[in-house]
Amino acid sequence: MNRRDALKKSALALGAAAGAPTLISLLQACAKTDRLTWTPQFLSEDQARFISSFVDFLLPKTETPGGLDVKADVFIDLMYAKTYDEAGQNQVVADIEKFNADCKTKYGKVFAELSAEDKANCFKEHEANSPKFPKTVWGGAVGPREPVGFYRGLKSTVLWAYFSSEEIGKNVLSYDPIPGEYRGCMPPSEVGNIWSL
Amino acid sequence: MANFNIDADKDLTYDAIVIGSGISGGWAAKELCEAGLKTLVLERGRIVEHVVDYPTMTLDPWEHELRGGLTPEQKAKHPKGGRSGFIGAFNEHFHANDLENPYTEVKPFLWVRAHQMGGRSLLWGKQTYRWSDLDFDANAKDGHGVDWPIRYKDIAPWYTYVEKFAGISGEALGLPQLPDSHFLPPMELNCVEKHVKERIEQDFNGRNLIIGRVAHLTEPLNGRGKCQFRNRCDRGCPYGAYFSSNAVTLPAANATGNLTIRPFSIVQSVVYDEQKGKASGVRIIDAETSEEIVYKAKIIFVNASTLSTTQILMNSTSNRFPNGLGNDSGELGHNLMDHTYRVGAMGTVEGFEDQYYKGRRPNGIYIPRYVNLKDGPQSDKFVRGFGFQGGGGRSGWGAGSNQEAFGGDFKDGLMKPGPWEFFITGFSECLPYHENQVYLNKDVLDKWGQPTLSIDAEWKANELALNDQARQDAKEMLERAGLKDVMEFDNKHEMGFGIHEMGTARMGRDPKTSVLNGNNQVHGCANVYVTDGACMTSSSCVNPSLTYMALTARAANHAVSELKKLNL
Repeated sequence: MNRRDALKKSALALGAAAGAPTLISLLQACAKTDRLTWTPQFLSEDQARFISSFVDFLLPKTETPGGLDVKADVFIDLMYAKTYDEAGQNQVVADIEKFNADCKTKYGKVFAELSAEDKANCFKEHEANSPKFPKTVWGGAVGPREPVGFYRGLKSTVLWAYFSSEEIGKNVLSYDPIPGEYRGCMPPSEVGNIWSL
Repeated sequence: MANFNIDADKDLTYDAIVIGSGISGGWAAKELCEAGLKTLVLERGRIVEHVVDYPTMTLDPWEHELRGGLTPEQKAKHPKGGRSGFIGAFNEHFHANDLENPYTEVKPFLWVRAHQMGGRSLLWGKQTYRWSDLDFDANAKDGHGVDWPIRYKDIAPWYTYVEKFAGISGEALGLPQLPDSHFLPPMELNCVEKHVKERIEQDFNGRNLIIGRVAHLTEPLNGRGKCQFRNRCDRGCPYGAYFSSNAVTLPAANATGNLTIRPFSIVQSVVYDEQKGKASGVRIIDAETSEEIVYKAKIIFVNASTLSTTQILMNSTSNRFPNGLGNDSGELGHNLMDHTYRVGAMGTVEGFEDQYYKGRRPNGIYIPRYVNLKDGPQSDKFVRGFGFQGGGGRSGWGAGSNQEAFGGDFKDGLMKPGPWEFFITGFSECLPYHENQVYLNKDVLDKWGQPTLSIDAEWKANELALNDQARQDAKEMLERAGLKDVMEFDNKHEMGFGIHEMGTARMGRDPKTSVLNGNNQVHGCANVYVTDGACMTSSSCVNPSLTYMALTARAANHAVSELKKLNL
């Protein structure tokens, strides 16, 4: 939902005069996607809004923190700023613009402004059309390889940004920096969530 | 924190000089110092003191701003080494700068270098296996290359000697093609590895699946701590649990009071004394000041790593050796070998969902060579053989990238252990071909104006045939072991990816066809020894570093004994 739609709807809500709580929740919901609460180092505000909404839709908050809770979006912007060369940065910008342009063509709005249903449709379509990452042996790809495209590449980056965060790595996954031993067989129930390192 | 004497300049004369401080140089330094020789170790790069100079050894991903990511400036320093896929922010400082140290690929060749005290002993894979007479006999038997001047019995006691000090963990099995080491307790296989082991050993007579034999302590040794299963070895180990020069041999050398190590010392050449008919010293260029200095010694060990050692010998010309020190045979620079890399199979294993493991084991499984054994059937497609490394584990959150899913359930599902996966990947022996070679390139100079190497080497029919067999066998073994979705692969990596460069100054019986004799002395210049990978006469399919250690200790003790007899 964009700001103009929100205002329109809130005006309606005010007119109805019955649902002040609805109005408040509506405004809060909109603020989340509408107003950037952080300052990107590389991305424009619109591009950052795209990354934030992508992160939030891929990894929403549940009983465990969501992608935005651990600032995965902020980290991805930092990655673009500090680990990409100029060609890589230009490619990211072009890819985000194209992703949004495709959303507009198909759903009438950029990704961040789509309804949850349209976001899901958008993701499903990309899932179906994006090649998969190859298997790896010792960090190197093996077997059939083809470029995975922007969607799956970004999905992978978001997972990394999320699972390499301190909150997830230390407090959600099973954190054991110095195992001290190797036990080759043990029930997963003794561990809980996967090892973080 | 001057734990090491680096004040070489006050004294230009030593009993012995060791060029390089990696796995073999560290051993040479230890043996020579312990024999009472005042020893100068010349190191091209900086000092890396054990623990003190391991800045990333305990960092969690989130403690690094880019969580292990490299900046474009860092990446730009490793256009070649980066191809290995092993360089990240937590170990980048242990990889050489390719821009300052160029080399030319006449044919594609990956040359991974580590220019600091300890060299690649800080980064190596630590798989440690004895070679056997299957290897030392091989050239004589099938006529490729020249005969090794030694046999297993000559090196066996030296294997034991270095193993007792280095600390090798593994399981004794009595396999003739893979002799047992002096072992510390083996690491454990996980449930799926045990299962696959059972199935393969049951279905394939003569094949074994064993835990890797590794230079990791599984018990404390000589003040070093045992492995804590963090698997952060390539950052330097705070416990000294894996074998590196920095943690093991150089401190021992230093403890004698006989060691001087000179960092930033780029060896230009070994100086040959025409009158005396032997080497008199080593000429270096100070990497920081570009000053040239000549250090003198009675014995010189060249342990700069396979190709750098040969580069130094080629650059060491004199009236007696116009084509490079010890190059009467014309074989210097030739017979470059490596092991093939990333050819095998992988698949998933069902039925062990109630099993997991604890600890990040810096080790996997090993399947010793089973083809063309001494008493077994012989292939008509190739000579020599291959072995496999590999391992099993449960996939983690990384598998999420390929799942056609998103949202809250997807996210929380990734926090649970995923399917079991298992892989094996072959390492095939490479024959010594005269035409696989390196030579000096005076058109491309390094940062210090020195000629660089051109590398002209490639796999040939025998290696490709071995790889074909390894790939097919890998798939067959995993399928018959009951794995699902078995996928075979062959990345067809160029030479160098194995990071097991061997040859180019081979040992041999005849000075007309080899560069070194059976004690690793340069033919025609008896006080120069070469005991790194350059000396290798064949490549086996077995990881070579343990053999470098044993050959070095053997040669160093030979040198000391010759010196005492006034033969050098």
